[in-house]
Amino acid sequence: MSEALLRVSQLAVRYGDLVGVADVSFAVGEGEVVALLGANGAGKTTTLNALAGLVRPAGGEISWRGERIDGAPAHAIVARGIALSPEGWRLFVQQTVEQNLRLGAAALKERARFGPLLERVFSLFPRLAERRRQNAGTLSGGERQMLAVGRALMSDPKLLMLDEPSLGLAPAVVDAMYETLGQLRAEGLTLLIAEQSMELALEIADRAAVLQTGRTVLSGTAKEIAENPDLHRAYLGAAL
Amino acid sequence: MRVSLRAALVLAAILLAIAPVLSGNAFYQRIAALVVLAAISASAWNVIGGYGGQVSFGHSVYFGIGGYAALLSFTKLGLPPIAGAPLGMLASLLLSAIVGLPSFRLRGHYFSMATIAIAALAELLVTNWGWAGGAIGLMGPATPRSPADLLFRSALPYYAIFLVVLAVLLALTWWMQRSRMGFYLRAISSGERAAESLGVPIRRTKLYALFLSGAFTALAGSLYAVMIGFIDPDSGFGILVSVNMVVMAALGGAGTLFGPLAGAIILVPLEETTNAVLGGGGSGAAYVAYGIIIMLLARFSPGGLAQWVPRPSAEKRVRRAA
Repeated sequence: MSEALLRVSQLAVRYGDLVGVADVSFAVGEGEVVALLGANGAGKTTTLNALAGLVRPAGGEISWRGERIDGAPAHAIVARGIALSPEGWRLFVQQTVEQNLRLGAAALKERARFGPLLERVFSLFPRLAERRRQNAGTLSGGERQMLAVGRALMSDPKLLMLDEPSLGLAPAVVDAMYETLGQLRAEGLTLLIAEQSMELALEIADRAAVLQTGRTVLSGTAKEIAENPDLHRAYLGAAL
Repeated sequence: MRVSLRAALVLAAILLAIAPVLSGNAFYQRIAALVVLAAISASAWNVIGGYGGQVSFGHSVYFGIGGYAALLSFTKLGLPPIAGAPLGMLASLLLSAIVGLPSFRLRGHYFSMATIAIAALAELLVTNWGWAGGAIGLMGPATPRSPADLLFRSALPYYAIFLVVLAVLLALTWWMQRSRMGFYLRAISSGERAAESLGVPIRRTKLYALFLSGAFTALAGSLYAVMIGFIDPDSGFGILVSVNMVVMAALGGAGTLFGPLAGAIILVPLEETTNAVLGGGGSGAAYVAYGIIIMLLARFSPGGLAQWVPRPSAEKRVRRAA
């Protein structure tokens, strides 16, 4: 694990006087799938936003391939190969599916790569190809999630971060989404998945970290975490 | 259908462009020149305020800089006022860089408030700055010393000059609209956070838009000073100067190419006519009308008049592409 792709140590984020996360540490190795678990408000989204450069950490370190990236602006982080599919999708609902995907390629240096990347997203989500000229606002929940993931993939990331990919979706749609994530993993993409629903995430993950009120309280392999009796207590808010 | 609509638009544009020449009426010619001048500043505002969704209520600061640059070059350096225009544009770029970067950290209403504060500060500074004319303001040349002073008895030459500047600005805006920058700007306008998370260089994009917007607003200020031959803190930096730009763009349709021009075509004659009919005592009447227009827009047509122009729906576009 010394060769971690991403390493987060003692990350702290504050919003004014409010503490977003206080002490989060975990690492993600190349090609791994890591689940970031925790109840609502545990600090999963804040952690991902800090990794994406959307909020500045107040303390701690984030390193990517051994280099510090905390405090770097979002566009520099995307350019390094870290993409975020945000909670609630944050689509441009007035723009078409294809325009949304085009914006996902904003950080791409060589424009020639846009075409092949678009084809890849369309083969991953054929539904998006069918709806490419439709406004994103007309899509169903499942299609929106596909578009959010597809848009993040348009920057050709090494690490894809997903914030609650199952939130608000029908079970069948969630299963299909996780199947696609499994496919991406098989292609060698590294995934960091923040999830409230731990069963799903632990099924696909190699390792997991559990957050509670802004701190990492448990971490280990997915199997260890799944079998840890403290897991459910952490979700229910018991002190560990 | 589309072709004939375009032809009708071109015809209407030509008619509008030559109507003041044909009319031979000095009052109408003056209004026509003022319409185009207002359209320049409203279209310039539209670049950052409309396309970028960064609603500035302080664009008078650029207008004032342009106006003062023109008349300061005349009073202090003896140059023709128009020679101050590039200086004003340069100063506006500098100010955009100094002021834009920190204020762009603010979003929504907070950004608007910051822009108001900056313009108010500028007005206060100039009012108390004796060298720049203080509260009295500055005068342009009384009689033309050379053709370069651009002093004309008729409003028609101004109308022609303004029309050229407006055409250049609209061409630049059109080009920007289709470029990567326009694409980013619209993304920022519809979801700044989302755009940022995708790697859209937010601050750089907004700053470039402000450069374009501020420079042309400053140019509008210089042209105003050249035509009117007078500028004071209120007519240069006053809040109503900014409000005019916002209302015109909003009425016609913010974030559309021709929206601000349409707004100017409606509002400037309204203001000039109320001023002419009601005289000095009624000079505030236009602003009462503005207030009503803002309320009606907010209630019935937040997208401005452009909202009523039929556009092919996404569905139709798909059908056409299929």
